[in-house]
Amino acid sequence: MKNRILALAAVFALGACGGGGGQQEPTGPARLTVWIMDGSVTQDLLKTFETRYEAEHPDVDLALQIQPWDGIGERVTAALASTDAPDVIEVGNTQVAQYAASGGVTDLTARIADLQGEDWLPGLAQPGNIDGKQYGIPWYAANRVVVYNKDLFAEADIDEPPKTRDEWLNITKKLNKGGNQGIYLTGQTWYALAGFVWDEGGDLAIQEGGAWKGVLDTPQALAGMEFYQRLQALGKGPKDADEANPPQHEVFAQGKVAQIIAAPGIAARVLEVEPGFKDKLGFFPIPGKTPDKPGAVFTGGSDLIVPVASRHQEQAYEVVKALTGERFQTELAKEMAFVPNRTSLAGVLAGDEATAAMAAGAAQGRATPNTPNWAAVEATSVIKQYMTAVLTGGDPRAEARKVSESITTTLNSGS
Amino acid sequence: MRRLALNAAALAVLVMTIFPVYWMFLTAFKPTRDIQARTPSFWPSAPTLEHFVTAVNAPGFWTYWRNSLLVTVVAVLLALVVALLAAFAVTRMRWRGRGAFVVMVFAAQMAPWEALLVPVFIIARDTELLDSLAMLTGVYFMITLPFTIVTLRGFLAAIPLELEEAAQVDGCSRLVAFRRVVFPLLAPGLMATSLFGFITAWNEFAFVNVLIIKEQDRRTLPVWLSSFRDVFGTDWGATMAAASLFALPALLLFLFLQRRVGVGMTAGAVKG
Amino acid sequence: MRNRSLWPYLLIAPTVAGGAFLLLYPMLKAALISLQHFRMGELIRGGAEFVGLGNYAELLAGAEFWQVVLRTLAWTAVNVVLIVVLSTGVALMLVRLRRGMRLALMSALALAWATPVIAATTVFQWLFQSELGVVNWALASLGFESFRGYTWFADGAATFAVLVILVVWQSVPFGALTLYAGLTTIPGELYESARIDGGTGWQVFWRVTLPMLRQLFALIVALEVIWVAKCFPQIWVLSQGGPDGATTTLPVYAFKIARVLHRYDLGSAVALLTVVLLAVALVANLRRMVRS
Repeated sequence: MKNRILALAAVFALGACGGGGGQQEPTGPARLTVWIMDGSVTQDLLKTFETRYEAEHPDVDLALQIQPWDGIGERVTAALASTDAPDVIEVGNTQVAQYAASGGVTDLTARIADLQGEDWLPGLAQPGNIDGKQYGIPWYAANRVVVYNKDLFAEADIDEPPKTRDEWLNITKKLNKGGNQGIYLTGQTWYALAGFVWDEGGDLAIQEGGAWKGVLDTPQALAGMEFYQRLQALGKGPKDADEANPPQHEVFAQGKVAQIIAAPGIAARVLEVEPGFKDKLGFFPIPGKTPDKPGAVFTGGSDLIVPVASRHQEQAYEVVKALTGERFQTELAKEMAFVPNRTSLAGVLAGDEATAAMAAGAAQGRATPNTPNWAAVEATSVIKQYMTAVLTGGDPRAEARKVSESITTTLNSGS
Repeated sequence: MRRLALNAAALAVLVMTIFPVYWMFLTAFKPTRDIQARTPSFWPSAPTLEHFVTAVNAPGFWTYWRNSLLVTVVAVLLALVVALLAAFAVTRMRWRGRGAFVVMVFAAQMAPWEALLVPVFIIARDTELLDSLAMLTGVYFMITLPFTIVTLRGFLAAIPLELEEAAQVDGCSRLVAFRRVVFPLLAPGLMATSLFGFITAWNEFAFVNVLIIKEQDRRTLPVWLSSFRDVFGTDWGATMAAASLFALPALLLFLFLQRRVGVGMTAGAVKG
Repeated sequence: MRNRSLWPYLLIAPTVAGGAFLLLYPMLKAALISLQHFRMGELIRGGAEFVGLGNYAELLAGAEFWQVVLRTLAWTAVNVVLIVVLSTGVALMLVRLRRGMRLALMSALALAWATPVIAATTVFQWLFQSELGVVNWALASLGFESFRGYTWFADGAATFAVLVILVVWQSVPFGALTLYAGLTTIPGELYESARIDGGTGWQVFWRVTLPMLRQLFALIVALEVIWVAKCFPQIWVLSQGGPDGATTTLPVYAFKIARVLHRYDLGSAVALLTVVLLAVALVANLRRMVRS
């Protein structure tokens, strides 16, 4: 333990004087390890970034490592607890709070101005901020839209995307005919449920005088669940699985499904399975209760963190700055169909049907409850199990009370 | 009539045993759009190798493959040698503490390895053994060692002592007697136990996940096996192709050892 | 043999050394953690504080722990009984089969045994999928219409059943192949004399086979109890211990606490109590070992 503290102290000292990693490798460029999640950025774009960055920073050798999703939580925890951690790590915006609270992530509050953080997307910036200190730096976001099959819409004589929830239910009913599914909505697509709950004025959990409370049992939240149930019934989405299992783009690519709820990036996946979909894919924002604004959506995305145990604090920050800067953000948004990390950059999305639909929805973007323990609620799948229970005939009130209690317990278990 | 019923029952067991494995291989050969068909097909109408190509071309495949083989083989061989020594001491010698030792070895099989992840991580960190294949090998060695000792002990006990003594009378030293007489009889037992160790170490994911952090090219195949999944879901075809390839070494080893394996296990256990 | 020398101790030295560093030391560390306030922050920053038996008190006082213990008992009992019975059946079948069929069945068992746990679990998840799964399709085709779109993973008992099928499927090959090899070592004369005495198939099994293979059965039962009680990845991947905790056994519970809630202290306490429970369950077996 003593060694550990000494090592940490040394790292702190290094970070404080901004010395960088020169001490470890006195000669040659410093090797900086950056962890990027599988599927976040294409290999080509990463390569472009690496080449350019190394040309501009001859003292740095970038090692961009793609991380598989399985076991990532344990891997990041282990990395933060190690003595020689990767220098920059991408973490999901619903995960970042727990790492930030652990004391293993470098506080970058002093850099906010340098990173032009005044117009960061709140859905990314808030979870990275604990007690007024910014640990996670917003990287990119994506929110869900409705992806539809234009052929099936034409067959059913629907020429305009729905503007309200009621219209949405009506057209979906029309589409759900013959061998076709009006919508393929799996029973455990809980991000979609969160949006419906927010639309009704409900929430997943709220903070009351220091303590957290699960509130899926409020009348508003129950109304959101009821809408989900009505929509889900207009197709054959399995009630006991989520959208990744089986991957919904593979089901959609069969051509018998009129709509799915997904991030626009899924279009590329559909085309991989079935290139014939090239001109058949349509997109619209998830409809709201009234035509004047689209429905609330969960803002998914990623933050970047610098571990305290990174031995190249200053150089790591420079990489973060480049990855979150305007140039790379523009490239990232165009290539991956993501929302850039700053609202002032949203313009790059104009002109494309998919990203335009997403940008319209993004204005109503929300984040999950801002507490380090939220990640645990997700990991134990209690909300998914609640949804399955209601969809398979359980009493919504009783099930909602149960899941709310479970969320309350998890959120208030100390860290 | 009885034979017919017996064969029918055997066939039923055979089908139930093999179906999930068959489904894994079948899926690996199906084009992605057939995988999610509403009516399942039990034969690939248009078999494809695309998933195998994806799996083999995934970054790090050959490196991980080499690491896995290295770690597994070294761990299993080390466990065999160490277990053989211990089994010899337990079956061929009388000494104070022998009973306690045997109980400890048996009890070691109950070790809650899942829960030892954090302590092992801390130990590796404090001894600068993170990112080291040696530490990983050591852990796999320790996971398989107790079972190896228990099985080898039983097997050794089954070999009559008189054989060795006769050889010693003929002028061989104890070591030579052991090598010439006992070792050949033990070979099937060694192989049987090594298979078990092989499957265990080959499949392990949790430890490699936290012990190998920054040096990505020191990871092993299970990491690769779980890498065909991202935010949009799992690429089933590639995963199944990968799983098929992943299961292959253990299968080949088993088919190679098959005749000896069963015998080895039992001879070990019966007299245990 | 006589040997009062150092030799036996030298021979077990590598085992003892390996065990001390890679098993005993981590176990002690786990025990220490279970007596501390040790969570993600302490893992990363160090500086854990002692809390005495606080974690154990918290655990033993809660109703959930005891529910999980009972569930683990049921889970272990159901699986082990099924595994032993089916393994015995398959082994007896193997002895009676002709060569070709026997080899085919043995190879099939080997295939099932060698299939990676992750892959097997994924395939099962798929087979039991509600809308596209083969199991529901087959059951519906056979006329059990209520299984069309049946949601296996929505119901606690159904999920439990699927997991039992998976674990039994994975475990029978080891038991069956081992027992088969054991059966081949029983001299044929024993059966003949039993038959001549007029024994039926059952009686022969109870009077000849079982007593001959008692040791082997004891070993298989002991190993399966350990393996099944500790079984984790299958459950986690298929159900995360749900729905509504219906498949949360002790290892799943420990994992949830330790690595989802990052309460390594409480998780260590669960793991250590699991070892104690297992040791108690297998105490008869351990006794036998001391005596031999």
